[in-house]
Amino acid sequence: MSLTTPDVIALLILDVLFVFFAIISFFLSIRIVKNWDLSSTSSLQYSLEKQSYLVATVIKYLFFLKLPLFIYFVFTLDLVANVIPGAMCAAGVVNATPYGFYLFIIKIINLYLFGIWLALHHYDIQHPGYPYSKLKFAFFIVIFFLFMAEIILEVMMFFAIDPHVIVSCCGTLFCAIETSHVSSFLVLPDWVILSIFYGSFILLLIFYYLKNIFIFALANILYLATALISLIAFFSTYVYELPTHNCPFCLLQSDYYYIGYLFYSSLFIGTFFGIGSFVINTATREKVDFWFKLSMLFNSCYLILVSSYPVIFYLKNGVWL
Amino acid sequence: MIEIKNIAKKFNEAQANEVIALNEINLSIQQGELTILKGASGSGKSTLLSLIAALSKPTFGEVIVDGQRISKLPDNFSALFRREHIGFIFQKFNLIPTLDVYENIITPLLPSELNREEIDQRACEVMEKFSISHKKKIKVLNLSGGEQQRVAICRALINSPKIILADEPTANLDAFLTESFLDFIQQMKDENKTIIVATHDPVFFNLDFSDREINMKNGQII
Repeated sequence: MSLTTPDVIALLILDVLFVFFAIISFFLSIRIVKNWDLSSTSSLQYSLEKQSYLVATVIKYLFFLKLPLFIYFVFTLDLVANVIPGAMCAAGVVNATPYGFYLFIIKIINLYLFGIWLALHHYDIQHPGYPYSKLKFAFFIVIFFLFMAEIILEVMMFFAIDPHVIVSCCGTLFCAIETSHVSSFLVLPDWVILSIFYGSFILLLIFYYLKNIFIFALANILYLATALISLIAFFSTYVYELPTHNCPFCLLQSDYYYIGYLFYSSLFIGTFFGIGSFVINTATREKVDFWFKLSMLFNSCYLILVSSYPVIFYLKNGVWL
Repeated sequence: MIEIKNIAKKFNEAQANEVIALNEINLSIQQGELTILKGASGSGKSTLLSLIAALSKPTFGEVIVDGQRISKLPDNFSALFRREHIGFIFQKFNLIPTLDVYENIITPLLPSELNREEIDQRACEVMEKFSISHKKKIKVLNLSGGEQQRVAICRALINSPKIILADEPTANLDAFLTESFLDFIQQMKDENKTIIVATHDPVFFNLDFSDREINMKNGQII
C-alpha cells in the first residue's frame, strides 16, 4: 500500500504538470538548438526566436516553482514521518525506501543546475542579440534528464513507502556505530572536523580575495561538503543540546524553531553563488564580482549561525558537549 | 538610415486563410527624408510601418535602422528602441481616454530615467510648440479631433525621436486641420527628422517638400 497524504498528492499532481511542460520544452529546445542561426533572417529563425521566448518563459517558471518546492518537499517528508512507524523525522522517510537517498542527492544537484540555468537566462535577456540562447537551451536538454530522474524517483519513493512497515529513526541512522558513510565521520574527533570546516572557510576567504574563480568554486564544493559533515557530526548536537543526536533533518522541525531551513538556505545559496560564478563566467564571460560577494555573504552567515550554537551553549553552561 | 531587406509579412502562415501583407519588399530611406507611402487600404502600408517601428516582426527579411538589426531584437529591446528612436502617430490617435492631456503626453517618458522636473520641462516644451498647453489638465476624451491629434503629435515627439511614422494621420481630420498637419510635417522635415507617412489622402501627393512617394499594392512596391 502506497502513501497518499494530501501533501504527497499535491506534490504528485505538481509533478505531472511539470512533466507535461518539461517534455514540451524539451522537444522545442531540441528544435531550437538544432536550427538556431542568429545571422539568418529566414522564416524558420524568426519562428525559433518567438518560440525561444515562450519556451524560456515556461522553463523559467518550472524552475522558479521547483526551487521553493524543495523546501515544501522537505516539509512534507517531515509531515509524512508522523504516519510512518519508527520515523521521527524526514530522515526515516528518506530511508524508508531505496530511492529516498538518491532522490535527495539529485534534488540538491538539481537546485544548483536550475539556479545556473536561471542565471544564464537572466544574462541572455540582458543583451539584445540572444547571446546565450543556444547555450541555455542546450543546457536545458541536459538538465531535462536529471529533472525527469528527480520526478520519477519522487513518484517511486512515495509509491514505495509502506505505512505498515517499521523504519529506522534518525537516532539509529546517524549514530557512530552505524555503518553508513555518514556514520564514519561521526567517529572523528571534534577538533578534526572543526579544523576541516573552518579551514575550508579560510580557503574560501583567501580565494575570494585572490579572485580566482575556478579555485573559489572548488573551495565552495569543499566548504559545502565540510559544512554538511560538521553540521551532522558536531553542530547539530548543540542545536539539540544532546551529544548523541546528530540528525540533519530534525533541525527542520518546529521543536528547533525551523532553524534548519535557515542553515540550509544560507549554505546552499552561498555555495550556489560560489560554484555558479565559475560556471557562468566560463560560459558567458560575464562579470561575476557580485556573485563572489553574495557567496561570501551567505557562506559567512552560515558559519556564524552554526558557530553561534556551541558558543551560546558554552556561555550558558560553561561546558562543551 | 532605414534599410528594408527582402521583407515579407504573412499572417496565418501556412494555413488556409493565409494573408500575405508584404511580399519581398526592398527599400532604403535616408536620414532626413520625407517619404509618402501611398496605396489603397490593405496594400500593406501600415504593416510596413509597424515593422519599421519594431511593433511586429517580419516573417522573413530584415529591417535595419542606423545599422541596428531591429527585426532581430527581442521584445524588451524592441520597446527600448521604439522609446528612443520612434515617434508614431496613429490614425485614431490611440490616446488613453481616462488620462488628461499632460498625462498622455508624458507616457513614453515614464519608464525612462528622467526625473519629474525633466519630464515636466519636455512636456511643457512640446505642448507650447503645438499650442495645447491651455488644455493641459483636460481629459483627452473631451477634446476635439484636431486637439486630440496635437496631443498625439506631442506624445510622438516628447522623446525627441529621429524617425516619425504617421499612419493615415489625416483620416479623421477636416481640411483645416489637415493643412496644419502638413505644416507640422514640413517643420519636422526642417529639423532633419526622417518621416514616413502612410496615407491614401491625395493631399499628401506631389507635396513640394516630400522627397519620395512610394506606391504600394497587394503588399508590394509598384
